[in-house]
Amino acid sequence: MFLPKKFDILSEKIQQLTDWSLKKPIIRLNSERFKHYVKTAPRNYSMIVMLTAMSPQRQCSICKQAHDEFQIVAQSYRYSSAFTNKVFFGLVDFDDGSEVFQYLKLNSAPVFIHFPPRMKPKKSDYMDISRWGFSAEQIAKWIHDRADVQIHIFRPPNYSGFLLIILLVTMIGGLLYIKRNSLEFLYNQVVWGMFVVLAILICISGQIWNSIRGSPFLHRNPQTGQIGLFSGSSGYQFIAETYVVFLLYILFLNDHSFYFRSPFYPCVSIQNRCKASNKLIDLSIQCRLSSMFSIGNK
Amino acid sequence: MAARVTTNQSSINDDSELTTNDPEHQTNVSSKKRLSSSSNMLATSSLISPTGLTSLISFIVLTCAYISGFMSRLFSVIRFESIIHEFDPWFNYRSTAYMTENGFYNFLNWFDELAWYPLGRIVGGTIYPGLMVTSGVIHWFLHMINIPIHIREICVFLAPFFSGLTALATYLFTKELWSRRAGLFAAAFIAIAPGYSSRSVAGSYDNEGIAIFALMFTYFLWIRSVKTGSVFWSSCTALSYFYMVSAWGGYVFIINLIPVHVFVLIVLRRYSLRLYVSYSIFYILGLILSMQIPFVGFQPVRTSEHMLAAGVFALLQAYAFIDYLYTKIPRAADIKQLFFGLIMIVGLIVFAAVVVLTYAGYIAPWSGRFYSLWDTNYAKIHIPIIASVSEHQPTTWTSFFFDLHLLICLFPVGAWFCIKELTDERVFIVLYAVFASYFAGVMIRLMLTLTPCVCVLAAIALSKTLDYYADTETSDMSTSPVVPTNDGDGEDTESDKNNRNLYDKAGKPKPIPGRRGTPGTNPEAEEDTSIVSSNIKTVVVICIAMMLMLFAVHCTWVTSNAYSSPSIVLASYNNDGSRYIIDDFREAYYWLRKNTPERARVMSWWDYGYQIAGMGNRTVLVDNNTWNNSHIALVGKAMSSNETEAYKIMTMLDVDYVLVIFGGMIGYSGDDINKFLWMVRIAEGEHPKDIREQDYFTENGEFRVDRTGSPILLNCLMYKLCYYRFGELQTDFRSPPGFDRTRHVEIGNKNFDLQHVEEAYTTEHWIVRIYKVKKLANRLQAKNALRQVQRRKSIYSTTKKVAGQARKQGVILNKPQIKKGTKVSKRKT
Repeated sequence: MFLPKKFDILSEKIQQLTDWSLKKPIIRLNSERFKHYVKTAPRNYSMIVMLTAMSPQRQCSICKQAHDEFQIVAQSYRYSSAFTNKVFFGLVDFDDGSEVFQYLKLNSAPVFIHFPPRMKPKKSDYMDISRWGFSAEQIAKWIHDRADVQIHIFRPPNYSGFLLIILLVTMIGGLLYIKRNSLEFLYNQVVWGMFVVLAILICISGQIWNSIRGSPFLHRNPQTGQIGLFSGSSGYQFIAETYVVFLLYILFLNDHSFYFRSPFYPCVSIQNRCKASNKLIDLSIQCRLSSMFSIGNK
Repeated sequence: MAARVTTNQSSINDDSELTTNDPEHQTNVSSKKRLSSSSNMLATSSLISPTGLTSLISFIVLTCAYISGFMSRLFSVIRFESIIHEFDPWFNYRSTAYMTENGFYNFLNWFDELAWYPLGRIVGGTIYPGLMVTSGVIHWFLHMINIPIHIREICVFLAPFFSGLTALATYLFTKELWSRRAGLFAAAFIAIAPGYSSRSVAGSYDNEGIAIFALMFTYFLWIRSVKTGSVFWSSCTALSYFYMVSAWGGYVFIINLIPVHVFVLIVLRRYSLRLYVSYSIFYILGLILSMQIPFVGFQPVRTSEHMLAAGVFALLQAYAFIDYLYTKIPRAADIKQLFFGLIMIVGLIVFAAVVVLTYAGYIAPWSGRFYSLWDTNYAKIHIPIIASVSEHQPTTWTSFFFDLHLLICLFPVGAWFCIKELTDERVFIVLYAVFASYFAGVMIRLMLTLTPCVCVLAAIALSKTLDYYADTETSDMSTSPVVPTNDGDGEDTESDKNNRNLYDKAGKPKPIPGRRGTPGTNPEAEEDTSIVSSNIKTVVVICIAMMLMLFAVHCTWVTSNAYSSPSIVLASYNNDGSRYIIDDFREAYYWLRKNTPERARVMSWWDYGYQIAGMGNRTVLVDNNTWNNSHIALVGKAMSSNETEAYKIMTMLDVDYVLVIFGGMIGYSGDDINKFLWMVRIAEGEHPKDIREQDYFTENGEFRVDRTGSPILLNCLMYKLCYYRFGELQTDFRSPPGFDRTRHVEIGNKNFDLQHVEEAYTTEHWIVRIYKVKKLANRLQAKNALRQVQRRKSIYSTTKKVAGQARKQGVILNKPQIKKGTKVSKRKT
């Protein structure tokens, strides 16, 4: 008597969940649904639940991004060949189910929790966002780790960059077409020269490192409020620091090319500027040299 | 005034003679002696005239550059000994030694049994043989003239020798581009620039050491052939390119940069028959020659990296044909747009053909290593073994400055000058600058290809500046471009005092009227001279001299302190400043060589594969040629699983000995525990079911070896091999026993026994620890024996116990016996 009923409940639950997730990959859960489908006993499926606060007055900016990433994972799972009724994706909003938050003793959002079949979530079933981040790949890896389901992330291709390029090309083409009678600047060596020198300067002042590693712009000491432009270690840099270096290199450019009457240098007060910049260069080099020495001695 | 004019004329003649003579001599002979004799002859024949003096000075400066380039790389030989450095050079050395013993053809067919057990490695087909052949030829030549030198000495000193030659090649290159003075500067710069000496100190016997010379020499010949349009020079370019292909995988940079140069010249409407001749010949000859290297094979026609050259070749043929039609068809100027459209269509067809062939599978797409240069996040996601190498990280501005110092500041200036006075060959250096600086920014290793370019452009900037500042007398007679002055002499004496005189001498103005600057610069210079007084000029020259001196000091310091450690012999300094040599690596490898059976197989992490094979002469499972990821992952899995699991893998792989590097005893940071996470990661990539990176972290996500560390880490094979019996050792009075000096913690798991391996050898400072894998039979007998054998250990332990019990029952004589009573107070309440 008891056993079939349990099976009934279970199959009914699975049926319901499968229907929902076929309609929408992420199942929205409120308190009652959460209690019924996640908390209570007969359950042989995993639930990946994201607890979040999406409404605007909660002012959770990363919840939106996290939700988008979670959506991508769920979509990829829904349309992949690995789709089974072993794993379901759920979402609990704080405003729909604050009891859930109380029950799980959570006071922050977003949180990803894996509810393994027939068990309560352990500590490792809470995804550590602070360490892993919440990119779709990381979530998929975590799910693979916990629930043993391999999800290949398929991101919908990003058309915005493509559109932007088309827009730029048409704008430039249009400009060229409008000004087609005065295309002299295309043949101007100075313009191209400036482009080339700019490219070189960008490369050698470490902007590529910035774009790959993504370091902070400045360092602000939390105690004293002191602002540090330069990072102390030789393997790290701040963005502001690279701009300073960039400008220093431009100073060199000014100094040596002035007798060309270059476009950088329309008016001439050569003598003063020559002295000043030379001093500055010497100073900067010596500063840098001393810092090198200190690094080396470390 | 008249006298000056005549001297100018004569010197022009002499100079033109010089320029025609010089390169021939220098291309025929790459050794120093012939060069010196030829220049000497030139110098002595006309020593009295200013031109003779000029060539004498440039000869002296070049010799000084060569010598200082050679000398500044000898720090490691003087401090330690003449020894091969690091990891890869050991393989190069071993194969060179094999080649000198067995001959070239045996070397090409060599099947190396010591590597990648049980797979082995076909060496001839998987290396660039240029390095070995070069040192083999030198060895053969020296033995032919009865100088019995050991091959190791040649290998150690090859890189400094070639860096001197690089200085000469850079001089020639810069002379073609700008002027001879700039060339001298460039030669002096490249001789000591840390960006180049980092890869070419004595003992770092690697491909890059000779490849940079080949690179610069190929570029020089290419510029030369574009300027002259002669078949001879472009054939020479192809030959030099062949040498480069045989020496280094970086030849791809040449075969892409030269087509880009040709393409940009066509776009800039600088097409000429000279360009057509030189590129066509270079491409065809270079293609055929490069395919002779077994490792390259059919790649030049089958991979995307080489398709740019082929495409530009096709485009150039079409362009030449259309250009020919244009001259032949009457009234062609009327249908100019038709021709333009035709060229565009041909370009599109070529492009489309390459794309279609790539999709059809005839051309291999970009390989991951090249693709990661454009898409910088590619390697991080898809190829962890590439991302794990520290050389493949992006470059901060500090490392640019550290490696190039003053030159990096002058670099954009030089580029700007070249653009201002653009010629066919200066387009080349500008393109080189842009691409090389981008690549160097993406990958710190490619700083090496940027360095020559930076040296050349900085030299141009500096020489142009000094052309203007270093002559104080031009304000009077501005018609003659450059005149020797007192200023130069002053610099000379000053520099002689300092004994680091290259730059200052090179900066000394020399009367070379036949310079190639456009005549348009002269009136400008005239205007400026009226503004800047001679005092200011002197100040500026002194400032520049000071900066150059700082540069020289910096270079020497960097080369000596940062780049000259052999990394197989370590040095530490005591409190009183005396030096203490730590020679554990060679001790361990020598032990392996002498005390293990000849066919013994040693398992270690791949970093040490070449060294074990080279110094220990034993078979290794994985080595630095990381071509087989699954094999490496298997070793990583063995290291990161527990002893029982690891034993299964080790018996499967036939391992006899296990070697680990452990730095906790003396605080050596490059040890296996610090590399351990990469082993776990690589193992996880292949065996995600068994190994999980997360298990090796603590709850807080930290990697710790102390008491809070994760139990899986504290019981894995690598941990046990590193810390076996380390808990019994007290390194310092202030620290507890088992204190790891590298990670500054007391280790978490101290008293454990090893079940399946036994300690075979540990070096003096515990850096290398070698364990013998026990045989399977012994273990089974001990566990499943029917008859229980009483072991000695148990006897001791029982006697101990008995003794302890006896002591317990002992009584003190006359001690009053106290009878235990019940507590009274409790009952009361």
